[in-house]
Amino acid sequence: MRVPFLITAVIVSAGVLLSLVLPDYHLRLLNLSVVSAIALIGLNFAFGYAGLISLGHAAFVGMGAYGLAILTTRMGWSPWRAMLVATTATAAFAGLIGLPLLRLKGHYLALATLGLNVSFYIVAANWIDLTGGTNGISRIPELTIAGRAIAGERPFLWFGLAVLAAITIVAFMIHTSRYGRAMIAVRDDETAAAMSGIDVTMTKIAAFVLSAVCAAIAGCLFACHVRFVAPEDFSYAHSITYLAMLIVGGESTIVGAILGAAVLTFLPEWLRFLGSAYLAFFGLMMLAILVFLPSGIAGLGRYLPRLRSPTRAAPASVSAKELGP
Amino acid sequence: MADLSQLLINGLAIGSVYALAAIGFVIVYSATGVVNFAAGQFVMFGTFAGVAMLINARLPWPSGYGAALAAMALFGALFFFVVYLPLRKSPIVTIIVATVAVGITMQNVALLTFGSWPFRLPSPVEGWTVTIAGTVVPAHFVAVIVVTAVMVGLLWLLFYRTPVGIGMRAVAQDIQAARLMGLKVNRLLALSWILAALLAGVAGLMLGPIWFADVNMGDPIALKAFAATIIGGFGSLPGAIVGGMFVGLSEVLGASYVSSAYKDLISFGIMIGFLLVRPQGVFGERIQDRG
Amino acid sequence: MSILQARAITKQFGGLLALSAVELTIAAGEFVAVIGPNGAGKSTLLNILTGLLMPDGGQVLFDGKDITRLATHKRVRSGLGRTFQHGRTFARLTVLENVMIGAAIRGDRTERAIRDAALAVLDQMGLAAEANESIGSLSYGRRRMVELCRALACEPRVLLLDEPAAGLNSGEVDQLVDRLTELRARQQLTIVLIEHNMGMVMRLAERIAVLNFGRKIADGPPAQVQADPAVLSAYLGHGYNRASV
Ligand SMILES: Nc1ncnc2c1ncn2[C@@H]1O[C@H](COP(=O)(O)OP(=O)(O)OP(=O)(O)O)[C@@H](O)[C@H]1O
Ligand SMILES: [Mg+2]
Repeated sequence: MRVPFLITAVIVSAGVLLSLVLPDYHLRLLNLSVVSAIALIGLNFAFGYAGLISLGHAAFVGMGAYGLAILTTRMGWSPWRAMLVATTATAAFAGLIGLPLLRLKGHYLALATLGLNVSFYIVAANWIDLTGGTNGISRIPELTIAGRAIAGERPFLWFGLAVLAAITIVAFMIHTSRYGRAMIAVRDDETAAAMSGIDVTMTKIAAFVLSAVCAAIAGCLFACHVRFVAPEDFSYAHSITYLAMLIVGGESTIVGAILGAAVLTFLPEWLRFLGSAYLAFFGLMMLAILVFLPSGIAGLGRYLPRLRSPTRAAPASVSAKELGP
Repeated sequence: MADLSQLLINGLAIGSVYALAAIGFVIVYSATGVVNFAAGQFVMFGTFAGVAMLINARLPWPSGYGAALAAMALFGALFFFVVYLPLRKSPIVTIIVATVAVGITMQNVALLTFGSWPFRLPSPVEGWTVTIAGTVVPAHFVAVIVVTAVMVGLLWLLFYRTPVGIGMRAVAQDIQAARLMGLKVNRLLALSWILAALLAGVAGLMLGPIWFADVNMGDPIALKAFAATIIGGFGSLPGAIVGGMFVGLSEVLGASYVSSAYKDLISFGIMIGFLLVRPQGVFGERIQDRG
Repeated sequence: MSILQARAITKQFGGLLALSAVELTIAAGEFVAVIGPNGAGKSTLLNILTGLLMPDGGQVLFDGKDITRLATHKRVRSGLGRTFQHGRTFARLTVLENVMIGAAIRGDRTERAIRDAALAVLDQMGLAAEANESIGSLSYGRRRMVELCRALACEPRVLLLDEPAAGLNSGEVDQLVDRLTELRARQQLTIVLIEHNMGMVMRLAERIAVLNFGRKIADGPPAQVQADPAVLSAYLGHGYNRASV
């Protein structure tokens, strides 16, 4: 248990240090990184551990965000209470939809979750009475602690880091428990997992629900921070960005998830000199990372221990062809 | 209230475009195992290849179309070398994210080249109309359906009557066996990508006059092609055709009889329904893994 | 009293009849070998016994209860263990973690108890020194031993082994035979062994069942099966078969 606490402490203190030196604009990006990191720790359960290719993660972030926005602005609930209910509802939805959905594998699951995300977008953009349509919902209240609003970039960052630290520690605890091992086993070999007494379906659903819980919490934080939600923020393009963050961060690890979120959130800023060519360059850069650095940033660290124990094997990967029907 | 036969023609025309996009997607998938998330951007490139040749270069339509398709074939080969070859052994998610990433590049290259202002790509039969069963419909819609039918016929000839096509089918069925039989597997794989790009080119040229040529048109097309593929049956060519027609019709009929806002929910709802109840689609093979 | 029983199991793959009305009864404490030429349907029978495949006809009974439709993990939890023909371990887990997956089968165990149980199995099977190795750093033979440990950690009453000696060198095979003999002596373990290595079969099996083209063609004590002309013809091919009829 010591290592995860150490890592969490490093991340949080790095964040706090940065919060003292960075200008407001960068703090804003840092806040977005923290929110994405929370969502990504969730996606890491589903994809990184259990191997469920979800292209619908942004829909769960959106459900959390819209749930909170609707409950606070329409029903006048406190953000805390709304957060609890929105997160629970998202988790319940994930469990219900997961039951039939998670029988699918590989690209079938990818396309089904993509369809889910697109459907969420269509509903959010068109159910105007409830969601405000493409105009979204504004004037979402801020979170308050002991009567004081968590307003402004800096205080929100501190709060966000605290939440991230808590979620990271919980994630590490799950990772090292029988449940985390079961998820990894299911990804490595479903048949052998069942043959070792693991309930494969339940394990997948648990991973999916966990991923939805983290996504919904991230969505609620996003809504309270930006104080405005619109369908655009939760389109399937964001789901793909989440997957990209996880792959760039690398190696299906919690630390990789956090790194990936930070790097891809700051990347547009670092590449500002490219101007309008940024996105065209971004795609090629992603391609280069996938080709030359398939195990991501966290995978770079692997090269050091590899020098000491050269026999260490790369994780098994399944090629597209093998997964075909 | 637009009358039914007009809607049907309209739906079949749009469906034809989706079907062509889906066929390209399926050809690449069966041959190479790649789920190409840039498939929609391929069609967008097709439309803009038309814009470049017909509007910017002011070529007359036969040579303009020819030049556009030649450009698409080149692009297919480029994609094979730059994206497929380096990633062919990667896990499926890596390939999904990579093709999305390349799609983002394609979209933004188009944006940088052509700007965000939509173009109107003219049709060779611009302004003509055809009367079918007493309804007047634009000749372009009928032309799209006819061209698609011809393309399907040509594909059938290619796959079942020419050595190259039969080789491509052999590669799709069992790449190892094809290699042992002495087929030039890499060349056939490259051909699959070129063929997919060509089909996307045809789809894009035909779609240009129906929608506006817009650099953001790729995503909606890709989503429709995915829905068509799942509904028809993943990996099945007849399935891609039937699925494409189904999605086109449900979109057009749904918009006019149900709700234009929720028209797309119909095809995606049906796609998810198929995935849950019959993931092999209408024509697909049963999915089972070996115990 | 039979602990595991296959009743008239039939399984078809497309046009191929992989199993045809196969009967197999295993008594508690017995060591039975199932042999047969490649493609005879041996692994398919195991897949049906463990619920990885559904039979087209017939029943599977465990402890006298019909488990034909029971999910695999539930069969495992009620005492059915198995290893696979090609060795299936979890590549992203360490040796110890692989075995801990099996040891976690008892829901009431704490993390510490799971670890201790897994270590005990590794110790018993002579793998304790490799507990913290990654699976990838092990030889194929050692990996198959890890898989066996994982199956044992599930505390099975019946253990089904699909060609455990395939890919092992002769030293490893001897070791495997010793371990299996020990296991039988120490625990009340019932073992069903699929194996092509006839030396190993003859050293261990109390009874041998022979499958050929999806049919059981012999079932009895080793000496009797060895002398059975139908078995000889199955192994020597059709020519012999026709000549002998
Ligand atoms: N999932 C499946 N789908 C289609 N055919 C299968 C499947 N599993 C097995 N078969 C076929 O069923 C027959 C029996 O296979 P099985 O694996 O049970 O043989 P086996 O006796 O275990 O052979 P070996 O000694 O080679 O392991 C073979 O012809 C095999 O090709
Ligand atoms: Mg076998």
